[in-house]
Amino acid sequence: MDFVDSDRSRSYGGASAAVKPDPARSSPLAARPGADSRPSVISAKIVVGGGFGAGKTTFVGTVSEIAPLTTEAVLTDASTSVDDLAATPDKSTTTVAMDFGRLSLDAELILYLFGTPGQHRFWFMWDDLVRGAIGAVVLVDTRRLADCFAAVDFFEDRGLPYVVGVNCFDGVLSHSVEDVREALAIGSAVPIVPCDARERESTKNALIALVEHAMRKSVATPA
Amino acid sequence: MSNPSGGDADEQSFAGLVNDLTGGPWRSGGRRKRSVKSSATPPPAAVDQQGPAQQQTSVAAGTFEWSQPAPAASVVRPYTWTGGRTAPVIDLAVETLVSTSEHGHDVAVLTSEEHRAVAELCRDPRSVAEVAALLSLPLGVIRVLLADMADIGLVVVHSSANGSSNTPDMALMERVLSGLRRL
Repeated sequence: MDFVDSDRSRSYGGASAAVKPDPARSSPLAARPGADSRPSVISAKIVVGGGFGAGKTTFVGTVSEIAPLTTEAVLTDASTSVDDLAATPDKSTTTVAMDFGRLSLDAELILYLFGTPGQHRFWFMWDDLVRGAIGAVVLVDTRRLADCFAAVDFFEDRGLPYVVGVNCFDGVLSHSVEDVREALAIGSAVPIVPCDARERESTKNALIALVEHAMRKSVATPA
Repeated sequence: MSNPSGGDADEQSFAGLVNDLTGGPWRSGGRRKRSVKSSATPPPAAVDQQGPAQQQTSVAAGTFEWSQPAPAASVVRPYTWTGGRTAPVIDLAVETLVSTSEHGHDVAVLTSEEHRAVAELCRDPRSVAEVAALLSLPLGVIRVLLADMADIGLVVVHSSANGSSNTPDMALMERVLSGLRRL
């Protein structure tokens, strides 16, 4: 299990330390803002979770400046010792698709929105996704409330700030915020916002609520 | 078991296997060998094109429109591009930005088709996930490829705003917040 995702930061840290020291060559690994002539563009990431059909892809597409892209991870990416490709070169690999969008917030800042893969068996990718994320928006369809439990549990467990976006079709909330809070058994600190994934303003407000929440949480619990 | 040499063993066995199967001249762990794409795929144009000029036609700037990711690459068994390696030498998050370095703009140093494709694509900063999606390659493959290219100075990996911790710093969140409010 050399490179299972949960071990990633440690194992990669070792690997990069091993290849890094080579001052004779201008190492791009040592790139810092200003080291290159180009502007130091940086990126941030927000994760969009929720059950199947809760509107994750719609949410990403509504606010993204590009049509949402799909990337695949091959399952063996995270399980090299389990799925031994070398032994079975003809094995058709299992892939998991992940939608994401992009939003240029200023000339040097790009925000990426990543939808979580829906199926539970792809949780190994969630770890990859939440690492370094500002937080997550969990989309909840009140007709299928239980579908989002997995996402809520996961973000709680990882300590990732999240807000709950409750679907409201045509601007109407079918359940009160407090009913949803109780049904999801989430603390009073977690913001619950009405969210129509098809409306740009609505998705934008959900993202703003998330970042504000993440900042409050960051102040309350300094790293 | 975070031992890179374990990966080496895997590489060699994988490369050896490919050699056995194809009788091909596969270097174990080779990073800059020629792409297998030209021989493995049945391309509409020339099969044996390796010249920069012809490469440009397949990797022309206009090819990578957001709406139409390059379709051909998925025909290739992806990890043959990486010499069978599944772990990159540096840590690249899905949102990590990479852009072509000054060195990477020099067509002469781009010795393989996949390097040319990435160098063309990353003239503007792109995230790792975007490169993967636009080249229709799995994330794991792109991570290995980009890490290799960073290692030999073809692309610049933009610094992360996260510093050493895995959480974004306050300044970044403030920028994101004000950026969102401006939308």
